[in-house]
Amino acid sequence: MAKAIEIKDVTKVFTSKEEGKKKVLRAVDGVSLSLEYGEFVGLLGPNGAGKTTLIKILGTLILPTDGTAKVAGYDVVKEPDKARSSFGWLHGETGGRALYWRLTALDNLKFYASLHNVPPDVAKKRIDVLLDFFDLVEDKDKMVKDFSTGMKVRVMLARSLLANPPILLMDEPTVGLDPITADETRRLLISLNRDLGKTILFTSHNMLEVEKLCHRVAIMHKGRLIADGSPALLSKLHRETEGIILEVEATLQLERVRKVLESLPRVEGILNAQETEGSYIFQLAVDDEREALYELPGELKRAGITLTSISRSKPSLEEVFLRLTRK
Amino acid sequence: MAMTPRATTQDVIDVLRYDPPKQRSDLRQTWAVFVANLKIFLSYKTWVATETVTTLSSIAMFYFFSFLVNPERLEEAGYGSSYLGFALIGVASTNYLWMCINRLSHSMSHEVREGTFETVISSPIRLRSYVVGIAIRGFLVSCYFMAGAFAMGIALKAPLILNPGTISSAILLVLLLISSHLGIGVMAAGVILVYKKGDPLTFLFTGLTEFFGGVLFPLQLLQNYPLAWAFAWVLPYTHALNGLRKVLLLGETVFSPSVATSAGVLVAYSVVLLPLSLLFFRWGYNRIRKEGSTTTY
Repeated sequence: MAKAIEIKDVTKVFTSKEEGKKKVLRAVDGVSLSLEYGEFVGLLGPNGAGKTTLIKILGTLILPTDGTAKVAGYDVVKEPDKARSSFGWLHGETGGRALYWRLTALDNLKFYASLHNVPPDVAKKRIDVLLDFFDLVEDKDKMVKDFSTGMKVRVMLARSLLANPPILLMDEPTVGLDPITADETRRLLISLNRDLGKTILFTSHNMLEVEKLCHRVAIMHKGRLIADGSPALLSKLHRETEGIILEVEATLQLERVRKVLESLPRVEGILNAQETEGSYIFQLAVDDEREALYELPGELKRAGITLTSISRSKPSLEEVFLRLTRK
Repeated sequence: MAMTPRATTQDVIDVLRYDPPKQRSDLRQTWAVFVANLKIFLSYKTWVATETVTTLSSIAMFYFFSFLVNPERLEEAGYGSSYLGFALIGVASTNYLWMCINRLSHSMSHEVREGTFETVISSPIRLRSYVVGIAIRGFLVSCYFMAGAFAMGIALKAPLILNPGTISSAILLVLLLISSHLGIGVMAAGVILVYKKGDPLTFLFTGLTEFFGGVLFPLQLLQNYPLAWAFAWVLPYTHALNGLRKVLLLGETVFSPSVATSAGVLVAYSVVLLPLSLLFFRWGYNRIRKEGSTTTY
């Protein structure tokens, strides 16, 4: 069975002239990435990493310089029409620009449904429910030009779902939404993925959101794919050191406890120390996490320090992202 | 804004579960483009009102201007003796010229700037359906202005010969005027997609076409300038205008030799330019996809 999205060695080079000199930009550089049907994958990267270019290649708006990209098994260069019937797209970067501002929300949705060959009776039912879900019923007959950014995003979200495509390309779908709508949107995306098996390629700068939603995370930097795996796997793979977090009772002075910890054989250093009400929390770099977890409680007890809790430290996706993209 | 959705996530899932097969309909897509474009056009109420007043006042202006024109010189040119009727047909038909060459390309460049062009071309619509949808809107809007101009002309007693034969011949010539110029407009749209700025060129071309087509003066006045005379008859618009005037001012039909010749020239231009223009437009479309400039900021 074909994969939902299959990108093989895709490169996109843009050339331009600046002050008479030819300028070459490799926006996407030899990227390979596949999504199975039903996967929910986050595509991360700092601004200018090549995410939007890659999504536009999948959306048939940009022709790759090299490599192949397929959506629902259809080559985006050779069979663009078939590929276009397979995805719904939220053009996040444009902040509502991709809507007709001088049409009403309802007219925008009707227009899009017609472009995607959704039968009129089916389109009507879907539009009614989606307008209701995104709280746009009262404003459906107003021109989009009079909408707030959040309302425009909601219209675009509704629009991307209208044709019920198997694949959703979601470019920052929660940007500009208020927290409640953003949360509702996340729940909807989870449900679309879980209950209807939608394949979702999702970009966001909100790491917590990505960690919560995505089965897999792909990180792009300077046009290249530099990491690909589950958030947990990436955290494990990209830890700079083995780490332990421990909390002890503040019965001794902080400096005294610090010295004790530094003297312990497994401890390579103290990464962070915080004093909270009645306790100290330390993040330690250790030579072997497993051994440290086993040995540290006894050594602390012998030093007269009361241990409250001890666990492995796990860097957040944000820390992983920052480490990888600052290299 | 606090969101309290009346429809739940489950409602959305349920409404999407019913998913009958989609059937491509070029007609429905073209209609959708036409309706959307017409609604956008009508949302510019002030523009529509001022353009209407401008068209009507220009007819009124030529009414008074006609008192200054020597009817004998006009008769020598073979278009009857009424300058009002002569100018009326010129002015009324220029709207089609502007619609085909300028407004079509302007609409597309506007969509590129607004970001909506990406919405359209990332959907499964055929490019020709999109182009035709925009063109139909332009056609109807031009018909509105033409009808307004003719109504004003009739009120001012312009000697138009209107009978079933001349009306059907005029409609045919207008359709040929559109099909022969649409190709030029679609080519201009292809150029504007790539270079983003092409309006000055299309304005120049349309302005020159108006002049050499003889909107306001009989072309016979150019006979002493062989180059200008030859250039004027290369333009399809000259043939369209010549045919329309022969039909509406002299009562000829498409079966009369001179009108049939004009219609034949327009058919030839249409047959050559329309397919060529679609190829040209596709070139522009692929070029911007290569350059990554399907939208501009």
